[in-house]
Amino acid sequence: MTWISKSVTGLGLLFLAHACYSAHEHSALHSTSTAALSSIASHSTTASNVTSLPIDISIETVVAVFVICVGLVLGSPELRPIQWRVWAGKIEREGEKGFMSSDGTVDKDYVGNPFRVLESRPGFIDIRKQRKEFAEWVREGGVAVGAPKS
Amino acid sequence: MSSSLSHPPAHLPPAVALRISQQAPITLRNPPSVISSYSISSLWSAAETPELWTEYENLMLSCLRTGDEQSAHLCLERLTERFGAENEKLMALRGLFQEAIAKDDAELKQVLEEYENILTKDPSNMPVTKRRIALLKTLDKTTEAITALNEFVDSSPTDAEAWAELADLYVGQGMYPQAVFAMEEVLLITPNAWNIHARLGEVLFMAGSTGDSSADKYLGDALRRFCRSIELCDDYLRGYYGLKLTTSKLLSILPQASRQSKSDSGLALPDLKTVERLNETATAKLSEIVRKSVNGEPGWGGYEQAEVIAAKALLDSSAAKTIR
Repeated sequence: MTWISKSVTGLGLLFLAHACYSAHEHSALHSTSTAALSSIASHSTTASNVTSLPIDISIETVVAVFVICVGLVLGSPELRPIQWRVWAGKIEREGEKGFMSSDGTVDKDYVGNPFRVLESRPGFIDIRKQRKEFAEWVREGGVAVGAPKS
Repeated sequence: MSSSLSHPPAHLPPAVALRISQQAPITLRNPPSVISSYSISSLWSAAETPELWTEYENLMLSCLRTGDEQSAHLCLERLTERFGAENEKLMALRGLFQEAIAKDDAELKQVLEEYENILTKDPSNMPVTKRRIALLKTLDKTTEAITALNEFVDSSPTDAEAWAELADLYVGQGMYPQAVFAMEEVLLITPNAWNIHARLGEVLFMAGSTGDSSADKYLGDALRRFCRSIELCDDYLRGYYGLKLTTSKLLSILPQASRQSKSDSGLALPDLKTVERLNETATAKLSEIVRKSVNGEPGWGGYEQAEVIAAKALLDSSAAKTIR
């Protein structure tokens, strides 16, 4: 999805730059032509035309801004759930994978179920029991998962 | 890796704990810049973050669990170097380390005495108080642990962790009304904790299964607690599992119990039709979760394997009952 949003934004920026350039060119040409005109005929009937741009440049500017907006919105990350039950359900259903960004790292502020500490209770940890359970697990032939490739 | 290091490791499966502790020597090879001696490289090394010390603490717990005492001691030393030996949390961590390496009960009693010495000097030392209670539990002095914990929650009634521990101790002793009270205190502090709602439902279900006179009242309450946990969390496997168990049990005792408990104060029992519909919903939802999780559909992989297997077994057994 990101390349779509990036190309759309780039296209919009290109349009915008083109519109700006056109406006600049138009005003430059216009001022020289009016200067030449006024030097020939020394009355300024065309003075009201100096401020107005041709309609196609205005349209191009508006379209370019709109296209940039669309591109940026397309590129925004997925919205987080704001309802408690949806958010909690996502944690339970998807686990860490639901909170990964596109490059495979878990969000920094992801903590899983924040209330799990009330069941694991690190302040009251029974380290001897944990050691015993771990030793039993090793005796049953457990091995580490996801060992690093290095 | 760092994502699992930044959370307390007590609930991690042993395989993950082993992996973390195997990587400990690599993680610990370079001392953090704040406590290493001044060198020119400290100018461009990263600044100290609070997460670093959380990781040290969690790494130490994982290493102690897997029996890698050298790495654990190194963690402890670096934490001491950073925060000083008089830090309350560090006193507790040091005690934890000694508990872990103690060889017999006599040494454990020594650690207990040490805790008591610390507490006579400074009775407001919360982490050490908690360690003392935990050690009492380890030494099978559950009654003393409950008494100490009661004093603790008297002085610090907003400590949800302590209430939860107290509830757990009461459940271990079979004192369900007290456990329910303690769990309700936890819920007063954290009213949105869906797992605590489910846990309270489980305690109530256990209380209702003992077969005393007010069993149906307990089961009705358990039903409400499980419903609340599901309300707080979509597709909550544990909540639906409890709901199914409770409704099945209620369906078997409701017909004879519905008349006599009308005079009771408190909430009335839900009527038969509601319970039946809840049972059907729970069955449908559980089978959906099990199906999607077993098939490995994307977005359904967060459930624990053991929980899914248990849910499947429950579904199978109830299906067998219906066929018979």
